Amino acid sequence: MTEVRTAAATPRSPMLWVCGTGAAATVLHVAEVPPWVTIAALALIAWRLAAVFGAVRLPGGVVRVALGLALVAAVFAQFRALDGLLPGTAMLMLMAAIKVLETRTRRDQYVVIGGALFLLLAACLYGQGLAWVPLYGADALLCCSALAIVAYTPGADDGAFAAPLGLRTHEVIALAGRTLLYAVPLAILLFLFFPRLPGHLWGLTGGDDAVTGLSDTMTPGSITRLSASYDIAFRVRFDGRAPPPEKRYWRAIVMNDFDGATWTAGRPAPGRTQRLECLSRPYRYRISLQPTFTHWWLALDTVMGSPSPDVRYTGDYQLIAAHRLTHSLSYSAVSCTRVRSLAPLFSAARLEETRLPPGRNPQAAALALRLRRRAGSDVAFVQAVLAFLRTGGFSYSLTPPPLGLRNPVDDFLFHTRTGFCGHYASAFVDMMRAGGVPARVVTGYLGGRWNPYDGTFIVRQSDAHAWAEVWLHGRGWTRVDPTAVVEPQRLYRGILDLLPNAVSAPERLVHAWPWLGAALERWEALNGWWNQRVVGFNSRAQLGLLGDLGLHSPELRDAAWAFGATLLAWLAWISWQIGREIGAPPLDRLARAYLRLCRKLARTGLPRAPHQGPLAYAQAISRLRPDLASRVQPLLENYAQLRFGSPSPAHPHNLRLFERAVARLSLPSPTQARRRRRSRPR
Amino acid sequence: MNAAAAPDRDASALKGALEALETVVLGKPRQVRLCLACLLARGHLLIEDVPGVGKTTLAHALAQVLGLAWQRVQFTSDLLPADILGVSVFDRASQQFNFRQGPVFTQLLLADEVNRASPRTQSALLEAMEERQVSVDGTSHRLPEPFFVVATQNPHEQLGTFPLPESQLDRFLMRVTLGYPDAVHERELLRNGDRRDLIARISPVLDTAAVIRAQHMVRATHVAEPLLDYAQTLVARTRDRADLRLGLSPRAGQGLIRGAQAWARLAGRSKVLPEDVQAVLPAVIAHRLERREGIEGASRDSSGAAAGLDVAQELIRTVPVPV
Repeated sequence: MTEVRTAAATPRSPMLWVCGTGAAATVLHVAEVPPWVTIAALALIAWRLAAVFGAVRLPGGVVRVALGLALVAAVFAQFRALDGLLPGTAMLMLMAAIKVLETRTRRDQYVVIGGALFLLLAACLYGQGLAWVPLYGADALLCCSALAIVAYTPGADDGAFAAPLGLRTHEVIALAGRTLLYAVPLAILLFLFFPRLPGHLWGLTGGDDAVTGLSDTMTPGSITRLSASYDIAFRVRFDGRAPPPEKRYWRAIVMNDFDGATWTAGRPAPGRTQRLECLSRPYRYRISLQPTFTHWWLALDTVMGSPSPDVRYTGDYQLIAAHRLTHSLSYSAVSCTRVRSLAPLFSAARLEETRLPPGRNPQAAALALRLRRRAGSDVAFVQAVLAFLRTGGFSYSLTPPPLGLRNPVDDFLFHTRTGFCGHYASAFVDMMRAGGVPARVVTGYLGGRWNPYDGTFIVRQSDAHAWAEVWLHGRGWTRVDPTAVVEPQRLYRGILDLLPNAVSAPERLVHAWPWLGAALERWEALNGWWNQRVVGFNSRAQLGLLGDLGLHSPELRDAAWAFGATLLAWLAWISWQIGREIGAPPLDRLARAYLRLCRKLARTGLPRAPHQGPLAYAQAISRLRPDLASRVQPLLENYAQLRFGSPSPAHPHNLRLFERAVARLSLPSPTQARRRRRSRPR
Repeated sequence: MNAAAAPDRDASALKGALEALETVVLGKPRQVRLCLACLLARGHLLIEDVPGVGKTTLAHALAQVLGLAWQRVQFTSDLLPADILGVSVFDRASQQFNFRQGPVFTQLLLADEVNRASPRTQSALLEAMEERQVSVDGTSHRLPEPFFVVATQNPHEQLGTFPLPESQLDRFLMRVTLGYPDAVHERELLRNGDRRDLIARISPVLDTAAVIRAQHMVRATHVAEPLLDYAQTLVARTRDRADLRLGLSPRAGQGLIRGAQAWARLAGRSKVLPEDVQAVLPAVIAHRLERREGIEGASRDSSGAAAGLDVAQELIRTVPVPV
């Protein structure tokens, strides 16, 4: 007879889904962990998968323990630690994979899916960009679908009591998606109102190996590498008008220590800031800075004060933070593009800013002395050196020939005559100092491209620039950009426009096809919003939000209250939704008494399946526990008569009798029953 | 007749009928019970299986045990409606047309291999099944009471067959598949030779009047409101499923209740329980369900039949019984 078809002993599809979640969670981390971790984890999952199809056998307990210990040892050998983010992630990946390998029961499958979800959470510690969002969403959907499949596929271990959903794959995915959508309000709620502690939980990440646009040393030639990077350094939004392009110098690091070849950021000038007089209109703006992995923050030249209590505003107008910048942040600042300082330069500082290593670059020094002697003033001397650069046959290039190590400035000025901002700034400052004029190199960025979609300027790593500052009597430190003398266009156009062949292929593509550039701009606008509003939503922003909601001087506790209140509201809403879907009619007295009987039986180890009618239930009980049949069967038959027989509804007197019989029924607990069975003579 | 004793006597007669049938059709008590329930619920029966498992024997035995007059028609592709219903013949003596009744004018019509006939012949049978009357040349002729069609078909034979249209399938209350006998019973079959001799020897347990009384008894079996809820939920569940081409019709729902009533009566009960509905559900609904084309590429053939059974089993397991 074909009417009763039993499910296959161990269904295959849940195991495939479970392996899929394990593999997906592993792949999420492929960029962070060493390759062998990914390979090992995937291999273990593949082993389990092969076992599903009967190709191989599952390993025994000894093999599994040995494998586990070996992998722990390997992780320790790799990282010299088992804690910390990266070793922890690797451990989690490998142990989850071993769990996949030993998965047999439904409980194991739940554990694996839980591990996969945990790995998804760990992935959020590494990548928080907008581009990751769809991937994370897809993985969450995969895990939830796997949960549904595992929960609703009858397994060998639960016999008749599972309820198969009878859904197709796409319906399962739709169900999981709906469930996730139900969770979205809760997620938003947690995001907005769950009390945030100051500081970055996600600030765990970081390391010195990150590529950076800024360095506290400059050896002309080192910036070539940097120019090739199209990454965003920071975004700026001006309040009101933006300065013209030739004024958009973004100042970061002052370098005043020169060893003949390399400029180094020396000790910053002490904190007694010389008072600045603003000669231009003040520009107010907000910068969203990507991690620089240095102490310096960026600001438009010249910034008038520190944007944050954590950041020192030095005597030479640098912004130096106490900690390296390992996460993106945003801050507001005010700058003037033209300033004047009437304070004198102290002699110690003058000595510092005119010091040159003895015996290096002699030709440049000789030329500088000659020009200084001919010039009537420091200003004239500056003009003379710039004239020399303009007329001396110099050219701008991002791929200059290498310079000698001993006298690189001489090499550059008298032999190669080809270079970029770093070369010119370095040579110019060297000559200034040789001529006795205080001068220093400043690095930062120049320019920035207007993004029409979100109204910000985007400054990329390829906009990195170096220029010079000289101290002129009556004006103080004055910016001079020798590169602009050689290549005036650099002021108005980015490196891409200037030297389209100097950069890598994808950047050339963006440059060649304007629509691609426009799409990129849109994407970056969106990404900027994401970084600032979502990733950058910190405790301060949260308190700001509460303030916007009408709370005066909000605190963490207020956030907690707001969270609790909205959580309650959400729970009420979701309960109402679920209640409406189930729409269970109220139970009558007979149903209550019957369910009470069922609960009593369930406690003694004989639960009723939802689809079991009273007589089928009685039969199952008399099969499993013949000793109880004589007491339970009449009750169940009585119920069947009251519920389904006539008259309907049942006579109140009979109903009362049934209720009383149920109340009187006392059944042995499962342990008692077992004891009694054991003591029974065989 | 003693009116009070009649129900008891009829109940024991039903039990006797079941036992007699089981001596002929070995090892298939559930199917035998379903067939009898189907007839007691005034439904037509479709027996579907491969040749040689005893479809015809079962049909013969039913007719014999119930003590009904029966006719057998072997359906072929050249069978005409008139071959079943009958023809009007001009009688020279009386100078008028006389209707000569076809084999359908019987109490139990055994339609062998019903899917071999052309759609035209099949639809002629259709009217008879539903209306319990035959219209020829504008005159309606009532069929005798009771009237059953027991049709057999072989689902695996495809060449030269006309699969029954949905409308006709819906008119069969139940579809029963027999399947191969198990080893013990097959051995007995091999030892004792042809079962048909046996059929000739068994004596009728019921007669026309008793069958009609049993049918009335089945109709009177109590169906409580919660049970109607349950049946309605089961039927409704088939209607919002994306993988089925069509949900169950209200006629299927009626059939479910009638079948469950008969099943309860055969178990000696005067009320219908959810268990009765579950017992007849696969036989009542499986042949009425069809997987949507393209979802698993199956039409209503052998695998389609299995699909219907799957859905029935799934419904039983997922719809909680009323408490």
